[in-house]
Amino acid sequence: MTDVTREAPQQRNGHVETSHHPRKDDRRQDKGYYDIPPIKEHTWTWEVPVYFWLGGIGSGAHVVTTIARMCGNKDLAFLRAGRYITLVAMMLSPVLLIMDLGRPERFYNMLRIVKWRSPMSMGTWGLTLFANLSGLAAASQAARDGLLGRENFLARSFAALPDRLLSILAAPFGVFVGAYTGVLIALTSTPIWARNAVLMGPLFLTSAMSTGLSAISFVLNLGGWGERKTLESLQKAERASLLLEMGLIAASLLRMGRWGKPLRSGKLGAAFFGGTVAGGVLAPLALLQGRESRGRGILASLLVLAGGYILRRAILEAGKHSARDPEATFTFAWQENLPLRDENV
Amino acid sequence: MATGFLTDTTVCIGCKACEVACKQWNQLPADGYELTGDSYDNTKTLSGTTWRHVAFIENPKKKRLTGDVDLVALAEDVREQLPGGAELDALGRWAFMSDVCKHCVEAPCQQACPTGSIIRNEFDNVFIQPDICNGCGYCIPACPYGVITRVPEDGRAFKCTLCYDRQKDGLEPACAKACPTESIMFGEVEELERRAEQRVQELHDRGYTSAFVYGTPEVGGTGGIGGNHSKFILMDEPETYNLPRHPFLPQEKLNQASAASIAAAAVLGAVVAWAFRG
Ligand code: SF4
Ligand code: SF4
Repeated sequence: MTDVTREAPQQRNGHVETSHHPRKDDRRQDKGYYDIPPIKEHTWTWEVPVYFWLGGIGSGAHVVTTIARMCGNKDLAFLRAGRYITLVAMMLSPVLLIMDLGRPERFYNMLRIVKWRSPMSMGTWGLTLFANLSGLAAASQAARDGLLGRENFLARSFAALPDRLLSILAAPFGVFVGAYTGVLIALTSTPIWARNAVLMGPLFLTSAMSTGLSAISFVLNLGGWGERKTLESLQKAERASLLLEMGLIAASLLRMGRWGKPLRSGKLGAAFFGGTVAGGVLAPLALLQGRESRGRGILASLLVLAGGYILRRAILEAGKHSARDPEATFTFAWQENLPLRDENV
Repeated sequence: MATGFLTDTTVCIGCKACEVACKQWNQLPADGYELTGDSYDNTKTLSGTTWRHVAFIENPKKKRLTGDVDLVALAEDVREQLPGGAELDALGRWAFMSDVCKHCVEAPCQQACPTGSIIRNEFDNVFIQPDICNGCGYCIPACPYGVITRVPEDGRAFKCTLCYDRQKDGLEPACAKACPTESIMFGEVEELERRAEQRVQELHDRGYTSAFVYGTPEVGGTGGIGGNHSKFILMDEPETYNLPRHPFLPQEKLNQASAASIAAAAVLGAVVAWAFRG
């Protein structure tokens, strides 16, 4: 036999092509195992994005009212709105979280240990402390507002609580509840989240702040409550936090790079850019320009609240897409430290 | 004493005895009868009900055979200089690999678990205590190898226990016991490391220079998580076996993430104070 070139029929440029393995994308590396994802996607259901959103609203509303009071704001309607919004959010949050467990009746096992390195453990404790402290402040508010009746022991003792101190004590835990959800998903092996580990907490916290502000201004505008000055301050704060949010979204997308594809493409990308970037940040920013107006304020608040939910939902969905893509995992878990030399590859 | 596995993929014959032994001993339910159409592997992946998974890797090679090749000689002695510079690898290879929980030294799943259900037991194995787990599901995306899933009918997360119950009675894990080719070895981690080195050396001497140990902190794969107590001898790139090349410890970024969040909180606090000042 003279020189022959043998080439297995299924080999073309290192790509395998058989009936079972149609050649796909030239940029794809010829690696992996039948496209089966090497990592698992998260299994959290609808309760989790709703909690991320509600927890953020509660956190933002509480922190804003506390800081405003410290700065000398004396608007009672505003304080009430902030406290009651936080109360409702913090009453629903644990319910949602427990519903999502595989074994809801065992939720209390979360409280048997404190683990600094586990954002979910720290989150449980932060949420417990924040919900209780802010809940007491809200109860004291309710007692003073006469919602618990006038002349009974409960109303008297709640009214006697140091509500200002409770609010201030709760504030750092409120900040924590707003931010930790971002850190929680960032500290996983899901490429799109892990890649953006540093900015995930700030992004969620900023969104918590803007949704909290919007929830308050929505309630105040709707009821026609609150002083003019408070509403103006709220609008100012909303504009600033939306600007920050826009910056953080842009920085996150840049940082995610090739691993951010699920958030940029397909239906998810459309929902994210339409619902959050355009609908939840840019449109309300435009609406909130100029003089404060009730109608525009209400619309802007609703848009921000919807955008905040879509942000969390889209990021959680994107995590699933990212985990399903073997190439995302392989290219992310990479270091040039393998003892395989080129010629063996 | 730390115990672990060494899975030598070079002698695995793909009989799936380990998969079956594991299911039987641990009383794990069947996963259905789906056919993948990809290979003889219809199990596909590790999960809460599959703690050993045999991968079937049909491995066509990218190199072309040139020249007049004596296939018999090629099969008999790989050290022989082949005409035309052909290489054995050009024949392609069918590789098998019995995958399992890696029992990471710094286990991401264990660090993530908020209930403290995931512990290191007295054999230094990563163990999910089934009476503690409440099915929060955080360990699932935390694991860099996709080992854990939540079992829907049960609600809890499960994975390889390294046969904790058998070890307590002085027995080796069911998969290692069942393996007919000693592809799965069980023992003390240090002893297994020695064996792995020896075997890789042997393979190199025979001309299989691509052999290496996956799961040691120094080489290949596991810089971030301090190595694995379940190691593998591999002949190809980790990705071929569906393993990440450099899995990382997600919790390593905790400090950075926290610092950034605190900084963001300060900025936002200042912004709100500015809006409400005076
Ligand atoms: S391989 Fe996954 S499940 Fe096993 S110890 Fe490591 S992180 Fe945990
Ligand atoms: S699912 Fe169970 S084992 Fe996994 S992190 Fe949650 S409590 Fe721990």
